Amino acid sequence: MPEVEIVGRTFAVDEEGFLQQPELWDDEVARLFATTEGISDMTPEHWGVVRTIREHYLQHGTAPMVRLLCQKTGLPLKAIFKLFPSGPAKGACKVAGLPKPEGCV
Amino acid sequence: MAEGHVKPAALEQALKVLRERVDERTAAFLNACVRCGLCADTCHVYLADQEPASTPAAKVERVASLFRRYHTLLGRLAPGLVGAETLTEEALQALAAAAFGRCTLCGRCALNCSVGLDPAAIIRFARTVLVAAGMVPNGIQANIEAARASGNTMSISQEDVRETIAWLEEDLRQTIGDPEVSLPVDREGARVLYALNPRELKFFPLSISAAGMIFHAAGESWTLTSTDFDITNYGFFAGDIEAQREIADRLIRRAEELGVQELVVAECGHGYRTLRWEAPDWLGRPLPFAVRSFVEVMAEYLGAGRLRLDPSKNPDPVTLHDPCNLVRHGGVIEEQRYLLRHAVTTFVEMTPNREDNYCCGGGGGLLAASEHTAKRIESGKVKAEQIRATGAKVVASPCHNCIDQLMDLNRHYTLGVEVRTLGEIVADALILPVPPSS
Repeated sequence: MPEVEIVGRTFAVDEEGFLQQPELWDDEVARLFATTEGISDMTPEHWGVVRTIREHYLQHGTAPMVRLLCQKTGLPLKAIFKLFPSGPAKGACKVAGLPKPEGCV
Repeated sequence: MAEGHVKPAALEQALKVLRERVDERTAAFLNACVRCGLCADTCHVYLADQEPASTPAAKVERVASLFRRYHTLLGRLAPGLVGAETLTEEALQALAAAAFGRCTLCGRCALNCSVGLDPAAIIRFARTVLVAAGMVPNGIQANIEAARASGNTMSISQEDVRETIAWLEEDLRQTIGDPEVSLPVDREGARVLYALNPRELKFFPLSISAAGMIFHAAGESWTLTSTDFDITNYGFFAGDIEAQREIADRLIRRAEELGVQELVVAECGHGYRTLRWEAPDWLGRPLPFAVRSFVEVMAEYLGAGRLRLDPSKNPDPVTLHDPCNLVRHGGVIEEQRYLLRHAVTTFVEMTPNREDNYCCGGGGGLLAASEHTAKRIESGKVKAEQIRATGAKVVASPCHNCIDQLMDLNRHYTLGVEVRTLGEIVADALILPVPPSS
């Protein structure tokens, strides 16, 4: 299994850089993975998106629909794409420590 | 790929497919390759990695050597003399590395083959052998199973479909200030069923709103469906003959239930190809409705004066990526150009283009096959260079699968472009009919 080293810490990831041990995730890990997405400063909006995804994942085992993400964070759709340039799946879900979502992503 | 050893029973199943399911066309192709090597420079995988194993001829030979072993006299009697290979676990692993890891089934090599064979069809056959061996990449297999169990590859519930569409409809009404605009769902008797790629509902819904605006502007009678809406077909990518039929059948039955005259396939290359060109063969019957790509439908509206566009609303230079399954395999070639010439200020073709275009590197289901990520990104170098050479700021691509790969390439090769569906670009240029209330 591939590994990625971010600022001195090493994580097992899949070939696309998604964290393979969800239980390792915490705020620090989120900040580290955010840097791989080109996000150097996690704003309250970033955290809102990430925590909503995380909560949904822990309850349902999947990433939330982007509709729920917008409704729960109060952010418009376009703002989510601005915050996470790789989009909700490959960007926000990765920072939230989820495995890669299924489907065409 | 499935980890660990291939079980003897699986090897037996694979051998059965290899012995019994070679049709005449495949057999002719497997006998016909003269190894001239002309195909090498036509393949984006080979152009990017320069490894002999990536040439289409080498990939074809891997299948042909197995074919010779079980279908020719010399291959049976003296396999060593004619380069015939016995089907073993190692042979299957090598076949999987070639058929899934080094080929996107894009078919560009077929256009440049000196004897006219179709290497992609041969690789598809190799994948069918691998299905029998249980060696489909895990991500592709998971998508097939999700589609079989839930009706779509992302396991989106009917409730989530309805709530997402209601949310988009409300947003659309506010955005364009017209309470009459609607995103109808499950409307029996509509003329058109517009079917989706599940990633639009789950993560990228702007393309659904764009389609809603375009249907509204054109005055179309249309509907979405809350069940069996999925145009993607990972059975097709896997080479899984049973799964591909079953998956296509669900959407086709749903369209029949709704009684539509036309199934319009959202921007998805393989979705269009499978539903328009392959499904009637798989089901053994003609479909009782027309099947068209949303690209063709938009072009028809524009030509008939049902859409009015203002290209100044899209001032940045735009280039166009031609999805292999829509263009080379699907025959939808000029419509997207016609639309862009009317929807954007500056349209720049990349070179080569149309049916000679290079694959983005993400075709053939590779986006779902994580184990081949490094190869997928490497082989996308050819596309990245094509895009960079245009100087465009926006890449239009009428295929959600290509879009995902192009977004990865944008990041990896720092192209600094925006990747968009054609519908989103057309919707931005729309001059909307004035709402009745104002």
